Amino acid sequence: MKSYVMGIDFGSTTTKTVILDLKGKMVASCVASKGSISAEGVQVSMDGAFAQAGIAQKDIARTVSTGYGRRMIDVADQSYTEITCHARGAIAMFPEARLVIDIGGQDSKVIAVSGDGLVQQFAMNDRCAAGTGKFLEALARAVQVPVEAMGALAMSSTEKLTVSNMCATFAETEVISLLAEGKSKPDVLGAVHAAIASRTAGLVARVGNRNPIVMTGGVAKNHAAVHYIEQALSAKMLIAPDPQIAGALGAALFALDEVAKPSAAMMDEEDGADEAMSSARGCATQPCKTAAKLPANERPLLGPM
Amino acid sequence: MNDLILPQGKKANRLKTSSMNNKMVNDYWTDVFNAKAEGKLVCWYEGVAINPLMQAADIRWVHGEAWSALLAARNNEQPAQTAAEHRGYMKELCSYARTHIGCGVLAQNRGVEASGSSFSDALGAGLLGERIPAPDMFISAYPYCSTGQQWDEMLFRLFGKKIPIFNISVPWVWGNKPDAMYLGGSEFNEAKQYMVKQIRACTDWIAQQTGKKYNWDKLSEIMSYTKTAGRLRVEAMELCKAKPAPASFFDWTTSLAPVNFIPGGPAIVDYFEKTKAEIVQRIADNEGGIPQEKYRLFWDGIMNWNKIGWLANKFAAYDANMVAGRYTHMGFWHEFESIDVENPLEGMAVNYLVCPINLSAPLMIEQIIKLCKHYEIEGVVLHAARTCRAFSNPQFLIADAVQKRLGLPVAMIEGDMVDESFYKDEIVNSRVEAMLESIEARKRVGIAA
Repeated sequence: MKSYVMGIDFGSTTTKTVILDLKGKMVASCVASKGSISAEGVQVSMDGAFAQAGIAQKDIARTVSTGYGRRMIDVADQSYTEITCHARGAIAMFPEARLVIDIGGQDSKVIAVSGDGLVQQFAMNDRCAAGTGKFLEALARAVQVPVEAMGALAMSSTEKLTVSNMCATFAETEVISLLAEGKSKPDVLGAVHAAIASRTAGLVARVGNRNPIVMTGGVAKNHAAVHYIEQALSAKMLIAPDPQIAGALGAALFALDEVAKPSAAMMDEEDGADEAMSSARGCATQPCKTAAKLPANERPLLGPM
Repeated sequence: MNDLILPQGKKANRLKTSSMNNKMVNDYWTDVFNAKAEGKLVCWYEGVAINPLMQAADIRWVHGEAWSALLAARNNEQPAQTAAEHRGYMKELCSYARTHIGCGVLAQNRGVEASGSSFSDALGAGLLGERIPAPDMFISAYPYCSTGQQWDEMLFRLFGKKIPIFNISVPWVWGNKPDAMYLGGSEFNEAKQYMVKQIRACTDWIAQQTGKKYNWDKLSEIMSYTKTAGRLRVEAMELCKAKPAPASFFDWTTSLAPVNFIPGGPAIVDYFEKTKAEIVQRIADNEGGIPQEKYRLFWDGIMNWNKIGWLANKFAAYDANMVAGRYTHMGFWHEFESIDVENPLEGMAVNYLVCPINLSAPLMIEQIIKLCKHYEIEGVVLHAARTCRAFSNPQFLIADAVQKRLGLPVAMIEGDMVDESFYKDEIVNSRVEAMLESIEARKRVGIAA
């Protein structure tokens, strides 16, 4: 019997998979890093989640994909943009949040969400990687520290320096110049994180600052990035234990909605594509009352959307 | 898998009259190519549509942006852009200017006046950029954009500082005085009179270049056709309030040539009469500019000429009708009523002053809000052209205003006017799809725009 739904976030650097049972309880999540838009990464991520849940593909009732590679996933029945899925996943994690900051490998986005869970506005970085995970990766290489270690080093900075937040390539040149001037790695990395924070604050200004703020995406695991962004916004952010899976979680929640509304979303999609989309979005935008009931001691992952 | 909002092969239902436009454009440029052989002077200019001034003096004209746009729309822009870059004009410079300057470099390298192959042969060979004749004069009349104001100076230097140049300084419409309003107030009236004085001086200068008395009767006749064409175009666009809208922003972009650089005459009136008739017929037949109109959008920003057909089909595939836009609906003789054909300079000045980039943000935003209300817009796409900061400068303010005052979701996309390398389709897809998902979600919970 198909008793599970799956969300896959096929991102630029990692693929995240979340599996929920039909009550909305998360039974598995897996993050795989296999390089840019990697089909292997998708398979590793899905296999990891299947192993964790002790199930196989045949047990999945519906799959929704998101992320830059969302259209490349053969097993997906439906796909939505990262904006819609990250908002859904983040609000499921923190129903009280009204602003979502997601900084992933290739893009950064700020999403304003209304009390009923609607995406009100959003802003994304432009084509340049400045302000994204790629920016941090490139500058970690320039400073010659592992990307996982750069946050901790940045937190020990003592001198305030400035690095461009406009262009990743210029920033790399600036970092090399600062190191050549004898500036310490922690201070240079402090400036790098301040640059990403300033860029993020600019996006927040475009959609309008509001609280509470939840931060998702891989960069949310970097303490220095969180610190500098909180400083730039003068606000504390809510961060889930695994902020990287928010998009995949949102996708899985959409899959759950669609399973709960079979007349709309699981109709013959060749014949009824537009109707299916409309109906699926309809459930996605309101408190979903159609999912099965959980035992009283389990927190459902369905947010207010 | 089935991606439900992935474009699925639906194409824009472009206006049939557009094919007349292509012929007019080709004929016009053929006349330009033949100018020297026919003993005509050639003026290069940029910015607002001052071509009636040249037409009245029997001068042929090359509008820099129009020429660059044509090259891009017909995939012939690359040799000119490369030539300009090799000459030292960097990629961040306005791509219109870079392409046009590149044509200047090619014309210099050629060393002879335009001749030889036909329009279609040159087009097929990718050599159209080489075909424009070298200028005998420049007129610079660029509103707001600082690059535009320097563009003719660059060309002047490129041609050895030997070609006469006349500069018209177009004042920005600040709207700062207490009585300021769109098309009115003391500041606007002063700017208008300042423009009239300069345009009159320009006609004196043109007479010096031709050695002939300026033909005011001819100018009145040209402006009579221009006014009628402007009126018919606005009337046809306003009919697109209908649902489904019978034409899209991309149709109106295709139809800019007759109100931008094609000679003022019966042909441009005929074009918009036929366009309007087609619109009226489509409304009667309940025929839309796209196969299925599910969303009504507004385009802010300049056109991406490399991608005009591509974008028209992309939005059609999303069932999104781009009903109106700042570029098409806020310029190009749209204030036709201000033109007195017997004494046309003041009306010309008005239209030059209120071009889509020359209004201060508050005045501009009011016009955009009016258009969004009129056409019952549900979302705004803001095309930030990488090398046209003049157009993109106020876009955050515009986005903020339509969000707050009309509750419209927005999507900012990046691209360019004629440099294809600045456009990345997947990045555009993500933003547009997210906006459409947002509109869809609002419709579901009953939030009207």
